[in-house]
Amino acid sequence: MIPDGDRLERMDTTPSNTPYLSPDTLQGLTEPRRSRFKLTHEKRRSLWGLAFAIPAMVFFALFAVYPILRTFYLSFFEYSVVDPPVYTGLDNYQSIIGDKRFNTSLLNTFKYVAFTYIPVLILALLLALALNTKIKGRGIFRTIYFVPVVMSWVVVSVIWKLIFHRNGLFNSTFLHPFGVGPKNWLTDLSLAPDAIVIMSVWKELGFFMVIFLAGLQNVRGDLIEAAKVDGASPLQVFRSITLPLLQPTILFTTVIAMITGLQVFIPQFVMTKGGPVDATLVLTLNIYQTAFVFLDGGKAAAMSVVLFCIIAAITLMQFWLYRSSAYD
Amino acid sequence: MSTSLPTVDATVSNRSKIRISHLLLYLVLIAGAVLIVLPFIYMLSTSLKPMPEVFATPVKWIPSEWKWDNFATVWREHPIDRYFRNSIIVAVSVTFLNLLTCSLAGYSFAKFDYPGRTLMFGVVLATLMIPLASMIIPLFMVVKSLGWVDSYWGLILPAGTSAFGIFLMRQHMTTIPNDLLDAARLDGASEPRIFGGIILPMSKTALSSLAIFIFMWNWDSFFWPLLVTTNESYRTLPLGIALFESSYGTNYPQLMAVALMAMLPVLIVFLVLQRNFIEALTMSGVKG
Repeated sequence: MIPDGDRLERMDTTPSNTPYLSPDTLQGLTEPRRSRFKLTHEKRRSLWGLAFAIPAMVFFALFAVYPILRTFYLSFFEYSVVDPPVYTGLDNYQSIIGDKRFNTSLLNTFKYVAFTYIPVLILALLLALALNTKIKGRGIFRTIYFVPVVMSWVVVSVIWKLIFHRNGLFNSTFLHPFGVGPKNWLTDLSLAPDAIVIMSVWKELGFFMVIFLAGLQNVRGDLIEAAKVDGASPLQVFRSITLPLLQPTILFTTVIAMITGLQVFIPQFVMTKGGPVDATLVLTLNIYQTAFVFLDGGKAAAMSVVLFCIIAAITLMQFWLYRSSAYD
Repeated sequence: MSTSLPTVDATVSNRSKIRISHLLLYLVLIAGAVLIVLPFIYMLSTSLKPMPEVFATPVKWIPSEWKWDNFATVWREHPIDRYFRNSIIVAVSVTFLNLLTCSLAGYSFAKFDYPGRTLMFGVVLATLMIPLASMIIPLFMVVKSLGWVDSYWGLILPAGTSAFGIFLMRQHMTTIPNDLLDAARLDGASEPRIFGGIILPMSKTALSSLAIFIFMWNWDSFFWPLLVTTNESYRTLPLGIALFESSYGTNYPQLMAVALMAMLPVLIVFLVLQRNFIEALTMSGVKG
């Protein structure tokens, strides 16, 4: 390794039009000259490295770093988006703490995350376990269950808006045959959140199934065979072999689910506009409306900071959990 | 197996047990698959129905008359072609821009050493956890002050790079052996040539995964285009579909026809590139 590197460095000092020089030929080069060449050469290389990173860094600075810092800054100002900001200290934070609409949106978001993603994760794991076996047609099943994932949220929301229409598919196929009268899924205060949850479970299932299927590749088949030979029941095998080995995947999927769910926007925007009476108003939709409809940029910025902090906390917790389990 | 061999009877009953449980599993899987597919069939059927049959109970899966002209009418009466064109321009440009910026930055972080490198990579990773909603106000103001509201610039450039992409490329590029690069340097290749001639060709898989992701995300992108466009001329497909209703009143067969047309390109790409798709997803999933 070391002699090799030495040789490379020395050969690098040769004029570029010399095709090949043996290390012996280079012995004649004087020391000071060589080191000076080496220095500028390395410097030039790092400059190239820096230059390669610059385009992406300019984009980041302009469209991510500055905006997030500015959001923190604006959260201490009264800012109508049109007029220049006026410093008001912690007023925005105080106003959102007592704000019923903000609390509703926060609660709606947490409910959406829990009611959508707990079933999604459980169903996706079961589905992955079923499709990880050698049963016939597993490829077709995987494809079918994955199709909603590649569809856009807007298209899916539009379809489900029709499905949940008073005379749509859901009422006429799943309720009507059982003598249950049609329900107003999207305009009923207590049903609208459920309707969006049902749609989201349908949409998200396939994504988590694929992640679990990938995680199951780490579960060695021979371990499971050995346990079966020793008389372990399928449930025991699952609890003491599959589940512990799946732990990193479960952690990962839980975090991804929370981060995605907390930022949900499209289904509520398209299907219910946050209504009826804020029943489906989620945090992101609230931020959007506060900033661009009610033109209260400062308050929206304070809400943005809250959202940012929740997501940052979850991400850091994942980091910490991942590291502590990696050193076990 | 070495402990005790099961009797013949036991094997037979075990087998029939397995057969029954397999049958049950199939039934559940098929029922689930039907539930997954049903909304798509409903969409297809609705898009070909005459208006009065949309809300029939029970659902009229086969329309009494195939209204193929729902597609022609919606295409004629609404600027669908413009939505398509805008979507294609934006998604393709964003994808190419990302391939360029992410591979360059990924290469830089994987193979070079210079002051500030760790800090910059740390910043990149930190931006992974910034939700878009947390920065929309200043982001909008930046784009507005550049005069990019209602323009392709405003739709494309803010999505010009991605932390996920840089991370993906860096992870891949660290696996390219240094000897290869040193040998090229020895032959007098310049750094940009090494990047174009060695690094990029050796990153084809990672690049195609990234392309699939970025294209899909941007084809579906909704939140940012909603903020940065104020009129028809720069609306992309998802916006056109979402605002279809409010601007014209809901004609469900036509709405489903548009949704179907918007869905088709992604569905075809997925069915053709299925393996790459799932590979890309699991790669990001396992490593991310």
